[in-house]
Amino acid sequence: MAVTPAVPILPFVRLKLRLTANGLRGRPARIVFFVLGVLAGGFLAVAGYAGFAVPGLLGDERVAGMLLPLGGAGLVLGWLFFPLVFFGVDESLDPARFALLPLRRRTLIAGLFTAATAGIPALSTLVATAGMVDTAARLGGPLAAVAELVGVVGGLALCVAVSRSVTSAFAGALRSRRARDLATVLLAVVAALLGPLQLLVLAGAQRADWNTVAAVAKVIAWTPLGAPYSLGLDVAAGRPWAVPLKLLIVLAAVAGLVWWWSATLERAMLGAASGSRRAATGPADARAPSDRLLLRRLPRSRFGALVAREMRYWWREARRRAALITFSVVGLFLPVSLAVAGGGVGGAVLFVGSMAAMPLANQFAYEGNAYAANMIAGVPGRVEVHSRAAAHAIHVIPLLTMIAVVLGLVAGPPSSIPSRLGLLLAAYGVGLGLVLPLSVRAAYALPETTNPFAMSSGGGTAKGLLTLGVLLGAVIGTLPLQVVAYFLGTIWLWIGLPTGVAYGVAAYLIGSGAAGDLLDRRMPEVLAAVTPNRS
Amino acid sequence: MTAPAQRTDEPAPAAMSLRGLVKHFDTRLAVCQLSLEVPAGSFYGLLGPNGAGKTTTLSMAVGLLRPDAGQALLLGHDVWADPAAAKARLGVLPDGVRLFDRLTGPELLAYQGLLRGMDAATVDQRARELLEVLELGADNRTLVVDYSAGMKKKIGLACALLHAPRLLVLDEPFEAVDPVSAALIRDILQRYVAGGGTVVFSSHVMEVVERLCDHVAIMSDGVLRMHGTLAAVRGGRSLEEVFVQVVGGRVATGSELAWL
Repeated sequence: MAVTPAVPILPFVRLKLRLTANGLRGRPARIVFFVLGVLAGGFLAVAGYAGFAVPGLLGDERVAGMLLPLGGAGLVLGWLFFPLVFFGVDESLDPARFALLPLRRRTLIAGLFTAATAGIPALSTLVATAGMVDTAARLGGPLAAVAELVGVVGGLALCVAVSRSVTSAFAGALRSRRARDLATVLLAVVAALLGPLQLLVLAGAQRADWNTVAAVAKVIAWTPLGAPYSLGLDVAAGRPWAVPLKLLIVLAAVAGLVWWWSATLERAMLGAASGSRRAATGPADARAPSDRLLLRRLPRSRFGALVAREMRYWWREARRRAALITFSVVGLFLPVSLAVAGGGVGGAVLFVGSMAAMPLANQFAYEGNAYAANMIAGVPGRVEVHSRAAAHAIHVIPLLTMIAVVLGLVAGPPSSIPSRLGLLLAAYGVGLGLVLPLSVRAAYALPETTNPFAMSSGGGTAKGLLTLGVLLGAVIGTLPLQVVAYFLGTIWLWIGLPTGVAYGVAAYLIGSGAAGDLLDRRMPEVLAAVTPNRS
Repeated sequence: MTAPAQRTDEPAPAAMSLRGLVKHFDTRLAVCQLSLEVPAGSFYGLLGPNGAGKTTTLSMAVGLLRPDAGQALLLGHDVWADPAAAKARLGVLPDGVRLFDRLTGPELLAYQGLLRGMDAATVDQRARELLEVLELGADNRTLVVDYSAGMKKKIGLACALLHAPRLLVLDEPFEAVDPVSAALIRDILQRYVAGGGTVVFSSHVMEVVERLCDHVAIMSDGVLRMHGTLAAVRGGRSLEEVFVQVVGGRVATGSELAWL
């Protein structure tokens, strides 16, 4: 039919805004979180603008030549990693919902893409990078400013395309159980890319060798990461011929990513209609039902059943699996790459230990409102909280042990393995102590999609920020132990493990007790909070 | 079978007693001053059109949703003051609530049984029997998430029955269930009531209610419009006639929807 208008995009944007607004209506807590998110986004935008405008104010082309491409590349990488590790993508416009509408794929992609730019992260990125336009204008006049503006807009498109395509591809990969090993490897590669980057930055900072940094910046300015942000500088430096070339690089990158995204999207939409369901079975399993539920060493009791169910869920549910895999990869690579770079490992150890507890920050939402079954069976709050923490710890403590061992072999003397494990466990305990009450107090519903990185619209980003705050609190809470360790020196190698365990257990007992009592009082509220609103 | 002496006219203690339940969602009044006595040993049908507040009422009755005002007593225990005692002999099949669906059917039943403090041998025996009777397959390794809608209802019912409760609260138990399974479920429930158990269930299918229930309550817009024994509510007419009249439905006149 020739009547359809060329590419109707506006309805998608309006739908997204309407969904966001309706998500807030009549929910004061969400409005508060939304406002906090807006404030945080605004702050980052203003700070970014100021930062990127500094070289222009100084009139320093050399600094601009370093800051703009490197800062821009950092932004693009941030768009790549933050959804994967912390926040997830806002999937208020779930592609699967459009599967039945008579839309051409091009329309759908264009619409979803534009809608993705209508949000706080995209806006604050745009404002922050506008600082680069400021700099370009001061250095090279209006023509440079126009070039930079084009570049900045292209950069934003690149950011959005990167985050959408990568999360979409990962979601597809993690959906099937068979592909999860592949996903692990892929994530490891991605995380491994962090290592060399850190090395580069650290080495540059240590030697204060600005020539190296400038050379790196020059190279990055010719990659898709930095190219969009250096257009204005090229005009200012009298290299206008570089502008079309770099634009081509950016456009090719965006086009490639969007093409990749649309391919994975197609699969996601098909999956929603039919596939993705793992076909039943394999050979029949004739063991008794309770033997099938319980793992061998668990007690055949209520507590055993709760722990067994939780343990199963850490592997069988895509979101939890993604959290575990991400943690094991980041937890291993972050301190190791720091150690290889010759930096101190202490801070990273606390960070990793605390981070281990973070997937429990919204633990009740993972299974939708299935928690109702436990309420009907009358499971007391403390039993519930202990069982969930136990199932998580059974997965995480071996990981932490492995991290301590690898760190001991790579970074420090092997004799430091026990004491470092002590610090890791202490940080994990403190993290749990803080996160468990949070999971009862600030539970929120996750959307019912198969995308493990999807977040609900509205309070999503803000709740992610809350988790970051708790992470910081956990690191600070374990800091005293780190200081003690520093002053004790050799003695710490001996008492580190028992002290750390005692510290962690104490923090855990306080936090889990508080969480359990809170849960006893708030069960229906928690259930209501994690129930996805069906509308 | 020796019939229990509960079907006599002397007033038995109520299996479920709701007193002045009120629930607001934001500004909307979902349930308004609802009071209802469900006699022990009765088969009680809660009828109402979509959005009448059936699920809200049942959720408050079994302790899943905190009422703004009012009281809910299950087998004589206040579900909010003394939840452990009230929930001990209660089985619930909620509607619109997910199961722990990343478990297989047998695993889910074992989980429910152990959660109720039953010993493992009893759990295994009963779980097997339920899976056989409901035709879900005792050796099935499919995750519940991959079950069909009807199978999900059946496994949910099995979870509610496993610990042999004295009171069953079922929200839309016949929704999405195929006719063969529905007949099976009806048989099971009738046998359960004959053995002295009490069933409260919600539905908007008149035929099922008319065939099964000895007591009926009709609600719409959060208000209880009529309740009592089936004969008293019906008053000689068909239940559907009474329902449409009480709820205030309209009949298509023929001039609308002419393009159909």
